[in-house]
Amino acid sequence: MANLAYIVVIAAGAYTYGILTLGPDTGNGGFQQYVLGYRLPFFVAVIAAAAVGAGVGVLIGVTGLKRIRQDYQAMVMLVISIMAATVIGAAPSFLGGEPGLSLIPNPFSNLSPTTGAWAYVAMVAFACAVGYLVMRRFTSGPMGRALRAMRDDEHAAAAMGFSVIKMRLLTQAVGGAFGGVSGALLVAFIGGWSPGAWAYVETLALLTAVIVGGMGNDFGVSLGTFVIAVLLLQGVQFLPQIRSHTGLTEAIGWMTLGIMTIAFLWLRPQGVFRERRPRYGQPAVGSAGGGEVAEGRS
Amino acid sequence: MHLLVQSIGFGVAAGAVLALGAVGFTLQFGISNVLNISYGALMSVGAFLGLFMLGLGWNIWLVMVIAGLAVGACSVVLNRGLITPLVRKGLAPFGLVIVTVSAGIVLEYVIVAVAGPATQTYGNRSGATLNFLGWTLTTAQVVIFAIAVVLMLGLHLLLTQTQLGRAMRATSANRTLARSCGIATSRISDIAWFMSGTFCGMAGIALAITIESFDFTLGSIFLIPMIAAAVLGGVGQPYGAMIGGLVVGVASSVSSAYWDPAYQSVVAFGIIIVMLLVRPRGLFGSTTATRKLLA
Repeated sequence: MANLAYIVVIAAGAYTYGILTLGPDTGNGGFQQYVLGYRLPFFVAVIAAAAVGAGVGVLIGVTGLKRIRQDYQAMVMLVISIMAATVIGAAPSFLGGEPGLSLIPNPFSNLSPTTGAWAYVAMVAFACAVGYLVMRRFTSGPMGRALRAMRDDEHAAAAMGFSVIKMRLLTQAVGGAFGGVSGALLVAFIGGWSPGAWAYVETLALLTAVIVGGMGNDFGVSLGTFVIAVLLLQGVQFLPQIRSHTGLTEAIGWMTLGIMTIAFLWLRPQGVFRERRPRYGQPAVGSAGGGEVAEGRS
Repeated sequence: MHLLVQSIGFGVAAGAVLALGAVGFTLQFGISNVLNISYGALMSVGAFLGLFMLGLGWNIWLVMVIAGLAVGACSVVLNRGLITPLVRKGLAPFGLVIVTVSAGIVLEYVIVAVAGPATQTYGNRSGATLNFLGWTLTTAQVVIFAIAVVLMLGLHLLLTQTQLGRAMRATSANRTLARSCGIATSRISDIAWFMSGTFCGMAGIALAITIESFDFTLGSIFLIPMIAAAVLGGVGQPYGAMIGGLVVGVASSVSSAYWDPAYQSVVAFGIIIVMLLVRPRGLFGSTTATRKLLA
């Protein structure tokens, strides 16, 4: 199941980081309102964001447990993500409402802007590398094999003694923790967060990254994200602005994104890099599993 | 007490628009078995087509019909050009949802590219205020309600009394069996997409008249109560969507009278989640069309 409400997890991480580092809302002239308001150190806040992300991920996962059609479930997820943004936007005293949170502190604010930005890039690159390694351990270890088995045939996996519900929620929790951290890292850099920053079009950007890169391939997805985020969404800003048409360049960016998603699903649904089937040992000639292994090699 | 009566009146008026949209959404799903998320964007297209035609000085109700038919044509093009070929290529239902989401976003940003991101309005077209059974409603609301009732009755007669309607119901119940009985199911599908698009476009105009100011996100915001109405009645069930539309309309209107109106859409959301967890096939979902939803 692909999760169309994943953006909610990222938003949860971002808001968690925001309210845990901003300090009480009476500071800064009291122009924004929010709950909690602590001044915790960067790493504590990021860990808290991971925890909250995992929690929200599990909550979303619970609604996905009901055995209904994939596409129906996808529609519900989409509704959840739109609704979450609407509700947060409508409640000004909870997380800043529609204007959102601003002046969220950057951990490198005592460096000069350029040095700070590059230090941040280095830190995020490091975080990505760590995340990638953790994910690899997770997906290539026994747990990863179990998850793959569950995805390919749930009943068979259940018959082998795996608890499908527990594994699904665990996946949601792990995915949620990653989403929470990414939200926290994002918001600490850009300094502000509001419902407009996680509208459902952003979900499409995530999905495009996954589809272009190739579902089920960590490397492909990382590359897809890079292409989408860096080249497409930021790249359009370098197009010449047409004075009479405000918002035209953004519109072109989003249209390209939509067309790209459709084109990939049409022409190459497996993505640029297809999922590599793991190989287990030498193929035993004549055994039942031989065909599968041989297919993986070709 | 007066507040309650008045909010029910508003709810019925809003519910008529909702029912119009939800019936189109659900009809197309029931027959072609594809959840079309770009429905909301098509609705915005209808509203902006209406804005363009009003700029030419045409009568608003004429505009509603023409924009409806135009969106119907768009909807058929979407089906023929995109959905049917992808279904034939064997794309999974989940992939189809992503395709319709993407198509919706492309449509929305085509609107932005053509008409700009600014908020638009049809001007005040509510007309004289009418008093009826303690309800205070505008002429526009009453006319929209009447149009919705006429369309629903027309749909009912079409589905029950004509050869085409029987073919549609047969296709919805079992596509393979219908085809082997000599029904041209792909043509029936086209007709369903066309009718769905027409309902969608007309609902878009009706919505633009009632809420008075809108931008390109009009339809995708309205998609949530429409989905709620469709889910409540059972996705794929036109009669369910009519009742679902009224229930969601009245429930959101009454709740916003007594609670913060900003949370109005939470009611629709609550309905979706509760129905999903308790009875995913919807209140009236007992036919094969809704049973298909359960994996």
